[in-house]
Amino acid sequence: MTKQANTNKIIKTFDDFYNIIDIHQYKNISFHHHLRNGDYVLNMVLNHYLEKKVNNINLYPSAIFPSYSSILHLLENNQIDNITTNYCNGPVAEFISNNGLSGKLTMQTHGGRARSIIEGRSKIDIAYIAVPTCDPSGNAVGYLGNNRCGALGYPIADSLHASKVVLITDNIVDYVDSPEIKSENVDYIITIDSIGDKQGIISGTTQVTKNPIGVKIAKNTAKLMDELELIKPGFSFQSGAGGISLKVTDYVKETMKRQNIKASFFSGGITKYHVDMLEEGLVEKLYDVQCFDLEAVDSISRNTNHIPISASQYANPNDPLMVIKDLDIVILGATEIDYDFNVNVTTDSHGTIIGGSGGHSDTASEAKVTIIVSPLIKGRIPTVKKRVTTITTLGKNIDCFVTERGIAINPNRKDLLKKLLNSKLKIVPIEELAHIAHKYTNIPKEAKKRDKIIGEVEDRTLEIIDYLYLK
Amino acid sequence: MSRSYLFIPGNTPSMLQNLDVFESDAIIIDFEDSVLTYDKDAARILVKEFLTKFNFKEIEIFIRINDSESPFFKEDVLLTNDLNITGYVLPKALPSSIDQLLKITDKQIIPIIESPMAVLRLEEIARKDQIKGLLLGAEDLTKELNINRTLEGTEILFTRSKIVLTCNAYKIESIDTPYTSKDDEQGIYKDSLNASNLGFTSKSCIHPNHVDVINEVFSPSQEDIKQSLRIIKKAETNTKGAFSLDGKMVDAPIIEKAKRVIVQAKKYNLL
Repeated sequence: MTKQANTNKIIKTFDDFYNIIDIHQYKNISFHHHLRNGDYVLNMVLNHYLEKKVNNINLYPSAIFPSYSSILHLLENNQIDNITTNYCNGPVAEFISNNGLSGKLTMQTHGGRARSIIEGRSKIDIAYIAVPTCDPSGNAVGYLGNNRCGALGYPIADSLHASKVVLITDNIVDYVDSPEIKSENVDYIITIDSIGDKQGIISGTTQVTKNPIGVKIAKNTAKLMDELELIKPGFSFQSGAGGISLKVTDYVKETMKRQNIKASFFSGGITKYHVDMLEEGLVEKLYDVQCFDLEAVDSISRNTNHIPISASQYANPNDPLMVIKDLDIVILGATEIDYDFNVNVTTDSHGTIIGGSGGHSDTASEAKVTIIVSPLIKGRIPTVKKRVTTITTLGKNIDCFVTERGIAINPNRKDLLKKLLNSKLKIVPIEELAHIAHKYTNIPKEAKKRDKIIGEVEDRTLEIIDYLYLK
Repeated sequence: MSRSYLFIPGNTPSMLQNLDVFESDAIIIDFEDSVLTYDKDAARILVKEFLTKFNFKEIEIFIRINDSESPFFKEDVLLTNDLNITGYVLPKALPSSIDQLLKITDKQIIPIIESPMAVLRLEEIARKDQIKGLLLGAEDLTKELNINRTLEGTEILFTRSKIVLTCNAYKIESIDTPYTSKDDEQGIYKDSLNASNLGFTSKSCIHPNHVDVINEVFSPSQEDIKQSLRIIKKAETNTKGAFSLDGKMVDAPIIEKAKRVIVQAKKYNLL
């Protein structure tokens, strides 16, 4: 495909842009979610689709956050046919749960999304890419500029494969070195006053938990990792940004310092806690597909071993450079887990969409040991069920489930069970954990599952592993 | 003997539900300061229902009732006296209020020493029937004395020492005051170590995240356990009353102390 030359890419307004291209001809459109709840760009663009009454839109945002209100308005006007995303939370999620789409909702993984775009299954007409800094030719990075958000891992596949690539920025500099988005892939640059609100860009969840139940779960996880001898020289680790996961990371750090152990890499969403460990020499490299706080954002500029990577390099199973194929341990959360260790982080127990895989299934599939951490009872509802409401990650990829009242090991992992034969930890079958929870909650009545399918959960293997139903 | 005593509010189901998760040797379910007046009856009913349904064999459970001057005092006891609990923690304790409590329960009592008068009458209090131990309430005590609480605790050193001596003399537990900075991990460690060095047998806390540190500090160390096992082993084969180990004299009190260490180590799964 022929891209614009390196000059004349800059367009002053969206109106000018839509004078150049016919908005009605470009209905498969994508966005990234690095600016999270602070994103101004998605609403700004989609308001033009609203005003110009563009119908039959197929939307490919890497995630949908509560502030993405324009999607809700488009849905209310029935202007969107299909949505393909990795995560969906807030009013849009509620609307889809209650009303469905004229087409369908496809929930992919981060690696699966990149794969789908690269392999041509998701055909993007226009990739609208908010960038915190770019140069006039379209070289862009996410970790510089007033509204910096860190690594720009998610839209890289879009920038390489969309028919039109449009950068939207509030900061044009003379030259960008080592760009994440490369100028040869960029068609247009639209300049605006501000791409986002810094407060919303930073994830609000990135604090080590002080909740005593969370602390107990983290402590149990650390003990489990110790008994399984997982913390050893050169190990690799991913823990995400949840409070319990970060507390586990804290315990891992203590162990590493005590035993003088250095890790090879940490991957995934990166926080200040991971950066501290890099700067203390406890880990060789950070492979960063998205930053969760400003400390992580700013670390990219000063630490050469803090390496921004694309979603494909992070988790696309067909990418030969995939980082997580070498991942030893991943710590993940769960809204529900069932007797076959299938995990749900997509819907609540009533079937309302509340999230999605993100990198959950990707990392669980690849890591040598996948540990799920969760309170046994949440909001008076047991986390363990006979069958999860929605499968996000298949049980065959889950190895351990750690709660405050005991630990269940997937019976398929006989190697782990053997190592834990003389464990001081409370290792029990997952059914027994359910039984313990039921002593407090009784067995909750199942929400009635409806018949009408509104969407599907597509694993990174492209297999449809579950369906989403109209509430 | 318990190392840790964790206060949890009697009107918070999520805390009650997890009382066995926090790994505290003893739990004090609170009906007093953490429960507002309008919630007192709800707390009583909740705790009664909860403890009727769930039985905790491994944990000593106490209820901190409202003080004897309070209109809730009697009802707190009468509604819970038939529950499977170890006893009551009595706030603002004095000999007279303990007498009132003794009239309506035969369960164990832990008086809270939180007034200057209680400090002066420690022995009288310790001598009463059914007393399991004395708990220092330093916040209220320093408030009455109109002095500031400090992290170092020099203002309560005399009271702490007096409680330790009295409890030791009357062979009851001495329970140190809670450390109130809930996120200060270094602080809780230092404060616990200080109490342990002064001779307290246990420490109370108001945050579950303090339990681990308290249990660690009030447990015999691995070194103590190892040495105690050596002493006991040598004592078993020794025919004399006293003997030498590593150049140090070992006699009956030291052998008894070693036995106590091993009992504790077994109880807390440290062997």
